[in-house]
Amino acid sequence: MQLILGQIIAGLSLGMIFFLISVGLSIVFGTLKVLNIAHASFYMLGAYLCYTVTHLVYKSQNMFWIALILAPVGVAIFGGIIELLVIRPMYKREFLYQLILTFGLIYIIADIVKLIWGVQFYQVDIPPQLQGTVQFLGTKLSYYHLFMIALGPIVLALIWVLLHKTKLGRIIRAVTYSRDMSSALGINVSLIYTVVFMFASWLAGLGGTLMAPMASVFLGMDGTVTIECFIIIVIGGLGSTGGAFLGAILFGLANSIGIIFLPKIAIALSFIAMAVVLIIRPWGLLGKPE
Amino acid sequence: MGIDKVKKISYPILLALLLVLPHFVAEGWISIIIEMFVLAIAATAANLMAGYSGMVSFGVAGFYGAGAYITALLITKAGVPFEISFFAGPVGTAILSLPFGWFCVRRSAVYFSMLSLAFAQLMHLIVFTWYSFTGGDNGIVGIPMPALLGSTFSYYYFALAVMIVCLALMWILINSPFGKAIQALRDNPERAGFVGIDVRKYQLAIFVVGNFFLAAAGSLFCGFNQNVFAEYMHWVKTFDITAVYLLGGIFSFLGPTVGAAIYIFLNKIIIRYTEYWPITLGATIVLITLFMPDGVVGFISKKISGKGRESK
Repeated sequence: MQLILGQIIAGLSLGMIFFLISVGLSIVFGTLKVLNIAHASFYMLGAYLCYTVTHLVYKSQNMFWIALILAPVGVAIFGGIIELLVIRPMYKREFLYQLILTFGLIYIIADIVKLIWGVQFYQVDIPPQLQGTVQFLGTKLSYYHLFMIALGPIVLALIWVLLHKTKLGRIIRAVTYSRDMSSALGINVSLIYTVVFMFASWLAGLGGTLMAPMASVFLGMDGTVTIECFIIIVIGGLGSTGGAFLGAILFGLANSIGIIFLPKIAIALSFIAMAVVLIIRPWGLLGKPE
Repeated sequence: MGIDKVKKISYPILLALLLVLPHFVAEGWISIIIEMFVLAIAATAANLMAGYSGMVSFGVAGFYGAGAYITALLITKAGVPFEISFFAGPVGTAILSLPFGWFCVRRSAVYFSMLSLAFAQLMHLIVFTWYSFTGGDNGIVGIPMPALLGSTFSYYYFALAVMIVCLALMWILINSPFGKAIQALRDNPERAGFVGIDVRKYQLAIFVVGNFFLAAAGSLFCGFNQNVFAEYMHWVKTFDITAVYLLGGIFSFLGPTVGAAIYIFLNKIIIRYTEYWPITLGATIVLITLFMPDGVVGFISKKISGKGRESK
């Protein structure tokens, strides 16, 4: 029982990180109709920026909170530049070209990271305010995990409020529904595309920043989440924010609980689930059929 | 001088060149050219699906690796000689791709790509974790080859022959009525359906054929290296193959082959001088996608003949 509870908490908190990365990918696909395979690279960039910011002043642990603000913004700016330079010309092109281009971006960003930060692994400490564990039902639960589990729904709510209660959100939803009509009505669609892309990059960077204290910061960490994010947004529904949340939670839980009971096929479960969803309900659990 | 004339003259010259090459170059270069042959088959096969049929399979590495693994497993576990195992690789993979393909072709565009990726990743996972049978992440090494193919020199001619046969078969297919129908399908599936083409059946057929030749490339590579690893099936390999046919040009038959030559050549040269091959590849891909969408062959073709996009 104790083991399961600990695993559930760990799984949920990991799920929240995946949610932060996946939701951006899903929104970009829903609004810009581009599947940005390099999205996980923004996640990695966020983690590296978190490391850099937290080590600016001599290893002061309160820097984490500053990193939490600065790193995602840094990633968002980078995302904006990428969108303007490279993604923008691709909107009218066929799917294959968009795919291969974003794939090429993965390699480019990975090597840029390597150029700047080198090949060593970096560590970021959990901020002192969130260190330690709390006893609950006989299990030690880490404060940091609980922090992330709390943050997830907050971000989800934030996105929902942004999309449904603000003017900008209304415009984004209009552009998602019909690019041409919105453009005809005078909306600057290109600007909206850039804004949405930057927002998604911000979210991915936030995911990376939050992940940094939990695991090492290293080259190749983008590859550890890329496929998983696809699985999540496919299961949740391409373009659906709530779907990304649901998919991420399910994924995190399935992985952490599956490891206990069915270790051999735990990883395969995700792919099988993805295949099943694509076969019987390709628009996912919370998506809309085209 | 039109492009056709250029081709008629250069093909025999090229063939003659390839036939005598091993006598003049170092063994290292022969190995590299064998890699080019393998990649040429794989990329052309993948392009059958992508360029000619409009189906971007993200699972090409899975079937490429499947060919290699079937060949390797037959030789090492069942003692079947290479002569038979080599053919069993593509045949077995083609059979394997039938059920996968049946599901894949029922979905279009993004979903097709994702589903083919999911299946390939599943295959990779099975191979990776089934340590006792497939060697897991250690792979299978030291696969015995028939004495006739023991040296790089002799394997070169074998690989060249296989490549010519595979390319010829694919060429015949793509220029047959079936091939024309498939291209019609790519351009307008609805209209093709109205004309009486069974869209799903044709797509499944090209899926199986494409994966058949992908597996042939995998088996060929396995025979050369005398090993097979889970990396053969990793999605990074899918990207490499996709980059190759895009680089060469998806709208010409020999585009992928040209792309393979350029890719391998570039790779070997670059990694000699710098460890930053990924950014070179990535930047090349980005530039090709932005400025030369018809690939190198398409670009040159346009320059020579002044025509627009054409499928051959």
